[in-house]
Amino acid sequence: MAEGLSRRSFIKLAATASVAALPGCEPAARKLIPYVVPDDNVIPGVPAFYATVCAECSAGCGVVARVREGRVVKLEGNPVDPISQGALCARGQAALQGLYNPDRLGAPMLRRKDGTLEAVSWDKALGLLDERLQAAAKKGANRVAYFGSRQGPTLDKLARLWLSAWGSNRLIAYEALNDEAERAAAKACFGRTDLPVYRIDQAEALVSFGADFLETWGSPVEYARQYAAFRAPRPLHGGTVVGRSAYVGPRLSMTAAKCDQWVAARPGTEGLVALGVLNVLVNQGWLPHDSGVDLEALRGLVGMYTPAAIAGRCGVEAKAIVRLGELFGQAHSAVALAGTDDPTAHIGALILNTVTGNLGRTVVFTDAGPPPPPTTGRAEVEAQVAAMKAAEVDVVVVAGANPIYAMPASAGVAEALARVPLVVWMGQVPDETAAYAGLLLPIDHPLESWHDVMPRAGNYGLGQPVMQRVFPTMALGDLLIRSARAGGLGPKELPWQDASQAVAASWQELRARYQPSQSADDFWTSVRRHGGLFLQPGTAGVKLDPAVLKTAPNLPEPAELVLAAFAHPFFFDGRGADKPWLQEIPEPVTQVVWNSWAEIHPETARQLGLTGRASQLWLSAEVDVLEIASSQGRVELPVYIAQTVRPGVIAAPLGQGHSAYGRYARGRGANLFQLLPAGALSVAVKARPTGKKQRLVSPLGKSEMMGRALVEAISVEELARGVAPRPEAPEAPEPHEFYAPFKYPVHQWGMTIDVNACTGCSACVAACYAENNVPVVGEEGVERGRIMSWIRIERFFPAQEKAGHAPLLYLMPMLCQQCDHAPCEPVCPVFAAVHTEEGLNGQIYNRCVGTRYCENNCPYKVRRFNWFAPQWPAPLDLQLNPDVTVRGAGVMEKCTFCFQRIRHAEITAKLENRPVRDGEIVPACAQSCPSKAISFGDMNEPQSAMMRRRADHRLRNYAALAELNTRPAITYLRAVYHGKGKA
Amino acid sequence: MAAAAKSVFEPDYGDVDRGVLSVMAPPGIRYWLWVGFLAALVLVGGATWTNQVYRGLGVTGLTQPTMWAVYITNFVFWVGIAHSGTLISAILYLFRTRWRTAVYRCAETMTVFAVTTAGLFPIVHLGRPWFFYFLAPYPNERSLQPDFRSPLVWDFFAISTYLTISSLFLFMGLIPDLANAREASSGWRRKFYGLLSLGWHGTDEQWRNFSMAYLLMAGLATPLVLSVHSVVSFDFAMAQLPGWHSTIFPPYFVAGAIFSGCAMVLTLIIPLRKIMGVENLVTAWHLDNLAKIILLTSLIMSYSYACESFLVWYAKDPIELETFYMRYYGPQGWIFWLMIFCNCVIPLLLFSPRVRRSMVTLFIISLFVNVGMWSERFVIVEGSLAASFEPSQWRYWHASFTEVTITVASFGWFLMWFSLFARFMPIVSMTELKEGLGWLRQAIRDSYSRAA
Repeated sequence: MAEGLSRRSFIKLAATASVAALPGCEPAARKLIPYVVPDDNVIPGVPAFYATVCAECSAGCGVVARVREGRVVKLEGNPVDPISQGALCARGQAALQGLYNPDRLGAPMLRRKDGTLEAVSWDKALGLLDERLQAAAKKGANRVAYFGSRQGPTLDKLARLWLSAWGSNRLIAYEALNDEAERAAAKACFGRTDLPVYRIDQAEALVSFGADFLETWGSPVEYARQYAAFRAPRPLHGGTVVGRSAYVGPRLSMTAAKCDQWVAARPGTEGLVALGVLNVLVNQGWLPHDSGVDLEALRGLVGMYTPAAIAGRCGVEAKAIVRLGELFGQAHSAVALAGTDDPTAHIGALILNTVTGNLGRTVVFTDAGPPPPPTTGRAEVEAQVAAMKAAEVDVVVVAGANPIYAMPASAGVAEALARVPLVVWMGQVPDETAAYAGLLLPIDHPLESWHDVMPRAGNYGLGQPVMQRVFPTMALGDLLIRSARAGGLGPKELPWQDASQAVAASWQELRARYQPSQSADDFWTSVRRHGGLFLQPGTAGVKLDPAVLKTAPNLPEPAELVLAAFAHPFFFDGRGADKPWLQEIPEPVTQVVWNSWAEIHPETARQLGLTGRASQLWLSAEVDVLEIASSQGRVELPVYIAQTVRPGVIAAPLGQGHSAYGRYARGRGANLFQLLPAGALSVAVKARPTGKKQRLVSPLGKSEMMGRALVEAISVEELARGVAPRPEAPEAPEPHEFYAPFKYPVHQWGMTIDVNACTGCSACVAACYAENNVPVVGEEGVERGRIMSWIRIERFFPAQEKAGHAPLLYLMPMLCQQCDHAPCEPVCPVFAAVHTEEGLNGQIYNRCVGTRYCENNCPYKVRRFNWFAPQWPAPLDLQLNPDVTVRGAGVMEKCTFCFQRIRHAEITAKLENRPVRDGEIVPACAQSCPSKAISFGDMNEPQSAMMRRRADHRLRNYAALAELNTRPAITYLRAVYHGKGKA
Repeated sequence: MAAAAKSVFEPDYGDVDRGVLSVMAPPGIRYWLWVGFLAALVLVGGATWTNQVYRGLGVTGLTQPTMWAVYITNFVFWVGIAHSGTLISAILYLFRTRWRTAVYRCAETMTVFAVTTAGLFPIVHLGRPWFFYFLAPYPNERSLQPDFRSPLVWDFFAISTYLTISSLFLFMGLIPDLANAREASSGWRRKFYGLLSLGWHGTDEQWRNFSMAYLLMAGLATPLVLSVHSVVSFDFAMAQLPGWHSTIFPPYFVAGAIFSGCAMVLTLIIPLRKIMGVENLVTAWHLDNLAKIILLTSLIMSYSYACESFLVWYAKDPIELETFYMRYYGPQGWIFWLMIFCNCVIPLLLFSPRVRRSMVTLFIISLFVNVGMWSERFVIVEGSLAASFEPSQWRYWHASFTEVTITVASFGWFLMWFSLFARFMPIVSMTELKEGLGWLRQAIRDSYSRAA
């Protein structure tokens, strides 16, 4: 507190010093300033909704931004967008923290001679840029480069025009984690430049060759929804069918954990396993003859890869490969996905899909026009970097890419950028590459500017600004147009004044192509309202190129100890690390927060001489630090010893280890890109214990459920027989009531959560953080057990003796169960915990004195105490939801099913003189859930969708810890697994 | 043989008065240094608490789900300490127990200040202590009242009732002694004791009324001995937490309270009688009897521990079994075994009369019992919370500067008031010693012959 003793501090002290000073530390009153000229569009207290698109990953989900009093407070999926269908992942939710990030660059910065930065005016910055560009252009062609990333059609066009204005064509669209291998495979197999669309929900069997399709691969929100349908018990073929799935890869990722089988192949051998599966299919004769594939040629390709021959090399049992063959070959429809850096796996998966006749059914190429452009290939990027190193480039604009962080030191980007006279960095939070820039320009967040995305052919998302700028920034498009004008582009080549016109013009082209009958204005209004143009593409007929069956696959040699890096589900390639929500939400499988880790098998740990116990117990503990060295470099990482990774492999997440990128990202964990050769995700490494210890922080206590009725599962066989599994915990006792039971004359709100659909993706957790002003406590806070999230993902490993008779991992959201017979309520001495007449366990914050007895008596441990006054460094506080109280220190808080949303719907219904409709109230968690696992409704209304879901899945319906007679308003639907030996 | 030659000291009424009143002589520098040290401890504790209120409860080692730990342990510990005072002063009075006369005032004083200390902790531990009065039923325009279903509200009433009764009881017993002090002093002291002695002149009528009122007060206080700690135990027993939710708690807590309280009386009075030179008034015989109570209650405690574990084993509730397994063998299992050693094993030494009559061993044993009983409350409060229904949320408390400091300061607070009282008020009851002078003489004779 710079200004010394504030009023608030003074009152706190006064209240403390004298017990007689009863009125205490409530937040100081702030001034309310009314609008001088009220804006017609802003009604205080009434939110406005704007459709736009999420720019956090390449999936390009449509989102709807809720804007209150001119600032966006929440993002939700756009229901009309065919990809997101109303859902949004955790990264999408956290886009707000990119917008309001306190470390965003607030002004153009010029680097002085001594390396320090000096804030300059926009005029000066842009003047300098133009001056240097002109000088570069004068020296000859191609003296200017644009180092960007995947950024949408209109910005691509503008970047290209800008380059042409300065006589250059050095355009780099760089993505560290790209789909180059996948595209190469599609090109080789089918001659296609686009990627297929997967329809997992149409399949009955699925094999993923290293594709974490529920986390980071492709379009996770869409695939999570499809996978939930795939895993839901379906009446098919005269019985109940639950999709069978298998995951091939070195680590039990969250995606692998939701599959029936995890085939822990060595990293890099996923493609070999795919060839082995093909071998099984060919030899067993399980292939249809009408797939149009030359089976003899296929036999020639895969004949030598019999399971027995490759098992050793892949590090899996031959039996497992045979079983994968059975799984794939015996299903009526199946889908194979591949997500590694190795084209063989992708080709293998595409051949698998084709020869089993699934091409066109579960794997579809569409005919909806031009596909999104590819990212710049590795060779091309390397060539451009070499040009910079050779001093052939005078000005480089880096916008959206972070090559210093994401490219290995051997790529020489640092040397290259050092040789470039002017590096201009454009972005939001200055990252590692910004440290090499001479000029730093603050750029609008996508939520502040016009842009568009094309995640796949036929799917065009329109990004419109949803609020005024938070900082004095400039739109990237505006900047490029202005600079291109200075470079001499006239209105003929560059007919737009700013980015909004450019985007509008691009969209009028789309109208002319797809909807010529609509007027320009109608079309523009419609796409802005819907958030884009979503075509229903037809299926393109494709044929497997026979040449691919004759090309011998290129198979890597397995190494003794391999680092398998994987994209962190929340940070991806590192771009999410500056967002505190994403840092604080535990990675679903390891439950680690605010750090990166080296996941190793206990056996490997022993071989490496690590003495620490398997870290499944008491995770927040001192662990050994391992030094890992590859040909590219070395890093130090704390170890996480668990059986979630195969022996001989160190699995570690990408995304941490930033040396810049804001206060939330800097100095945490290690950057795995330093070990990886360009374009690869695994590399042979050497590792040795450093003797150092480090804390690996997690909010998790134990990883075993200890036989308690928390997360339950039922086998498909039990489901088919119609018997509920024998409960492990005692049945709920006959209720003995001391007090009169509660009556719910109008509503009794309840929730049904399908554990089978839940993937553990934590979108609900992020949504809850955003909706309910839940504070972030930081690494130290989590370590001390003060994480504040109202909803968490329960993660348990099945007990050893249950292996094969349980899911690979139990994952389930746990939030306040809103018990009818709530243990928290009667123990509160001051009625702060009260039962509402609609069945909620209310919490009255300004009545709470902080005895914390309620949490002591809560068996689910879902109440959260404010140990300190919550902090939102400005401008993160602008994100706070005005409908929800911000709690002060010393107060207990908890989930109330988004009470503010319930009230909003009830008031709306009352104003319209009608009852509340079923489905009108959607709590933030349910709203965000990609797999639609959560449904909310009125328990007084048996016909509500929520109650029907319970009734329709009677065998799977259960309440957590039912024997305590708490009678929760939440019931769960048991996860479904395939019994051992059947899959 | 030399001792036998010396004539046995046979105190008369004057000796008793002189012995006790000499303690109340103006204290020296060493006394004030001691009190100053204690006051400094209190100030440090107050500053630490101020910091806790200013910054939030996060400065403690409390965690999710271990929302209660040291503060509530201290609360139960100090309430427990308070109990033996009323037991000795009220129940043993009604039973006309002879040996209580020399120690009851000390025990009663301890009671009042222990309750005062205990009463601080529910406020110290609150998230928003400035709203502590929400727990009281006070009239307000919103008709908001506390929830009488909550054991914390019962606690609020139980503790305030106990503080009221025990203070009144202490004060009432003091009146004749204060009059005695008034007569023996001069200056401001005479005015001070005169004011407090409420015009006592020792008339027959005054003595008659005093005896009747004292008897009635003792009758009133007696049920409180049982009820207050039963209510405190309801804080736990009424919750459904494994390790708390048990019907054995009320008697178990009452026995524990008497056990710890008697031990604390020994801890206080053994140094006190030495420092104040009243060894002839508070004799080994008195303390021997107190030790027997400690032995008895220790056996009751051992039975309770066995019974508590047996019930859990017999009920076979898997969750409760696991909680108890963690209590014995978890990361903080050593605290449980320390408690067993201090509360069940060490007091067995008291079976030996020699141990009971040695001031050194008695003092050491009393310290063990204090440690053991604090550990017991900690094991129950913290251990049960740390490992309950939700394995994913298991987490233990870690020691913090704030909590340790405030705990130490609470001892400073208690000892400060006790030390002030012991110097300025008659810490041994002259009235009752004189009433039972024959017993006292007998006790002294006994100890002389034993020494011979």
